[in-house]
Amino acid sequence: MMFPEKPELSVAIPAKTELLKMLVELTRHIALRNFFSSSESQKIALAVDEAITNVIKHSYGDISNGDIKLDFFCSEKGIKIKIEFSGIPPHLEESSVDIKKMIKAKKKGGLGVALIKRIMDSVEYRTIDNMNFLEMVKWKKSS
Amino acid sequence: MRNFLINSKIIDKVGVLYPKGHLDAHSVDKFEKEILNVMNDGINKIIVNCKDLNYISSAGMGIIMGYLDDLREKKGDIKLSNVIDRVYEIFDLVGFTDIYDFMENEESALTKFNDVS
Repeated sequence: MMFPEKPELSVAIPAKTELLKMLVELTRHIALRNFFSSSESQKIALAVDEAITNVIKHSYGDISNGDIKLDFFCSEKGIKIKIEFSGIPPHLEESSVDIKKMIKAKKKGGLGVALIKRIMDSVEYRTIDNMNFLEMVKWKKSS
Repeated sequence: MRNFLINSKIIDKVGVLYPKGHLDAHSVDKFEKEILNVMNDGINKIIVNCKDLNYISSAGMGIIMGYLDDLREKKGDIKLSNVIDRVYEIFDLVGFTDIYDFMENEESALTKFNDVS
């Protein structure tokens, strides 16, 4: 088994952007504690930021009382972050971005999913009984 | 404690922005407002001095991306300076380092603007 069944840490938060910084710091700390490098830990934290921002802005949108649960699973092989939320299922298909085209189109959004997919080694999504589950895994380089 | 602050000043018709702290989807409105303030003053050359910027997510990068075409249409540009390593890595992840001038410091960014004006 790649990851233990029980998460190392579970966090339930209201879907509010003011909590993003706290989540970034928490994720970075967990990754560092599990022997990811400082640079990798920062990027894993960014992937969590982008995923949660996507949930708040797109899945919950105008819903002000949405909840988000995060489970962090750690092993010597890597880290798995499971994000559970309701609302509209996310669009995660967009993975390649053409920055020049986006600049020409004056786009201010659309980089988040590409960032997640560039940072994490696997990103999986499923919906069960109106609940959305997003799982992101980052393996350690040596594994 | 505030997580994000921003100031700006005009130097030789170049708007220099000084974002400080953590720039994410929560703080991005302040960043966009400051860029728009500078552009509304008729400034089309902008330097974002990132010496005190500790973190940026796609929300902040989106603002840098969204106004670039407007500025370049007016023969302006956005240059970034003093970017710390861990923030540079984030810009590099999405290919910003191929599109924008990343200058070592504000003075060299100003000189580069003045050289082409």
